[in-house]
Amino acid sequence: MNEKIENEKKDIENEEDDSEFIIDFTTSSAINRVSLKFLVVYIPIFWFSGIVIATLWYGYTVSPWPWIIKLSFLPLLLFFFTLLFILSCFFFSKLLLIFINLIHLPKEGIFRTEKGDTDFEFWRLRTEIKKITLWLIRNWPLPWIDVIAFRWFGINMDFSSHLNDAWCDAEFISFGKNVTVGQGAVIMSSMVVGNYLIIKKITFDDYALVGGQSTIAPGTHFGKDTVLGAVSVTTLNQKLEDGWIYSGIPARKLKPNKYAEMRRDIIQKVDVDERAKIETEHEVNIDDDKKHLIKNNNGGDNK
Amino acid sequence: MSIPNSMRVGPFCASVLVKKKYLILYIFLIWISLLPAILEIWWYWQMLWVEERPLHFYVFLPLFLLVIYVSTVFSAIIFTKLLLLIISIFHKPREGTFLRDAADKDYRYWSLRNTIKKWPTWLAHKFPFPFLDNICFKLLGVKTKFSNSLFEGWVDTEFMEFGKNVVIGQGAIVQSSVIIGNFLIIRKTVIEENVRVGAHVIIMPGTHIGKNCILNTWSSTMVGQELKEGWIYNGSPAKEFKKNRFFEDIPIEKLTKTIGDMDGLLKKYDEQRVARVLKERKSLKRKDKEEKTKKENG
Repeated sequence: MNEKIENEKKDIENEEDDSEFIIDFTTSSAINRVSLKFLVVYIPIFWFSGIVIATLWYGYTVSPWPWIIKLSFLPLLLFFFTLLFILSCFFFSKLLLIFINLIHLPKEGIFRTEKGDTDFEFWRLRTEIKKITLWLIRNWPLPWIDVIAFRWFGINMDFSSHLNDAWCDAEFISFGKNVTVGQGAVIMSSMVVGNYLIIKKITFDDYALVGGQSTIAPGTHFGKDTVLGAVSVTTLNQKLEDGWIYSGIPARKLKPNKYAEMRRDIIQKVDVDERAKIETEHEVNIDDDKKHLIKNNNGGDNK
Repeated sequence: MSIPNSMRVGPFCASVLVKKKYLILYIFLIWISLLPAILEIWWYWQMLWVEERPLHFYVFLPLFLLVIYVSTVFSAIIFTKLLLLIISIFHKPREGTFLRDAADKDYRYWSLRNTIKKWPTWLAHKFPFPFLDNICFKLLGVKTKFSNSLFEGWVDTEFMEFGKNVVIGQGAIVQSSVIIGNFLIIRKTVIEENVRVGAHVIIMPGTHIGKNCILNTWSSTMVGQELKEGWIYNGSPAKEFKKNRFFEDIPIEKLTKTIGDMDGLLKKYDEQRVARVLKERKSLKRKDKEEKTKKENG
């Protein structure tokens, strides 16, 4: 009898323990423990892309053009030189990343933030390498092209999405079409909690909208037409449903997103009014037992 | 990954300019700290420039520019340190509450110190690698370790003390001086070992954060608040959320648990953020009403 009671007691204690380990808060993923050895990576990237520019500059100085033309085109030349410097930094850091990923493939999960943990060490190395080019491009008068960098580094996005006003991790994030991310928002696919590093993929569906200064934790999923209000925070692995407006700390349902319906109406109106609507029926040539799998758009039953 | 324009946080010193003549010192600093760079360029030209065979010159030029940048930061820090030492002879920086007025000596010298520190901190922060920032902090008199990452937030450069392994989140503000109305408050902020400060957190002067603390995003502390060791804090002003056990050795399977009771969690958050504010407002309204009724009766 006593053993049973003791076991039950232990069970209860264990349950209490587990509730304390639930991560229901959001911290940050600012790089933990930056070590000087990563500077070794910076020097070759700077050097090689600098040599590209230096050779071009040499060609400019020895070219046979009259000095007036040389001087008048100098500002344009400097602009393109800096752009070329950034692009070559892209190139060399991407090359390095490919090598590093050959040694150790990035993966999701929970890791220890210790010196021996390979996942943690390689995460730090990757972020440091990615940081340099993203930093350069965001200090550059054409910041919109940072989409190119993000795409190179493994974020699934296209030019219809906007995030150049936000802080964004450069891996394990996928965007749909027309995603807008507000000013000062923080999108983290990695988070440091105590002694542990959490890496989880963030997905945005089409037309998702993130308000200014909001914080998005790893593992968050944005449905289609979901809106997250300004100054709101999502918790780890939170799933935001399609077509709802969320707000608050942590994010909770506020109201259905009627603005998205309005947008759909406008699109449909253009389609219907300006062109004649043609209705046709198609016979699909498949087996009879599989016909029920076809979705009927008119809402009726399949014949 | 990189701080965008809308979140730009560095350089780490307040930009209050009490008197415009402080800018003379600022420009003097820029001038004198760029002189070594010019000397280095001259030396490099003398060493490697050959008209017929310019290969060496151009190959090592990018590397040399990197060296120039780092050395310029160092020279800027050294000259700033010298100026700060000279100024501290006239007036020693001290903690306290001061009048926000040009007549107040502490307020004036606080502004002067920040103006002088601006150039090296700006220069160090313009480099993508955070180690220059850490060196800048250390040489300007902030107690930090190289294991800290203070790069993504805004951190004050005086009256600060950090332990090991501190992480300051994106867009967080850690300050030791604040202007409230007509007053300037300067108090020492101490952050001990292994503290993880979340994104967008505001830490006010005089805060003491104990070891192994975690601050949730968007929480803030009050002037002179003490945060206990080993807790997770949330809300503004920060309140104890739960015990921090994430520094223990725990099997990783335990961490993968998802939040089951979402409504309970929302309630918990609300109690720490909204409910308290509402209570205070209600009590204030009650007081107003009581005073009104008293006046009417009287």
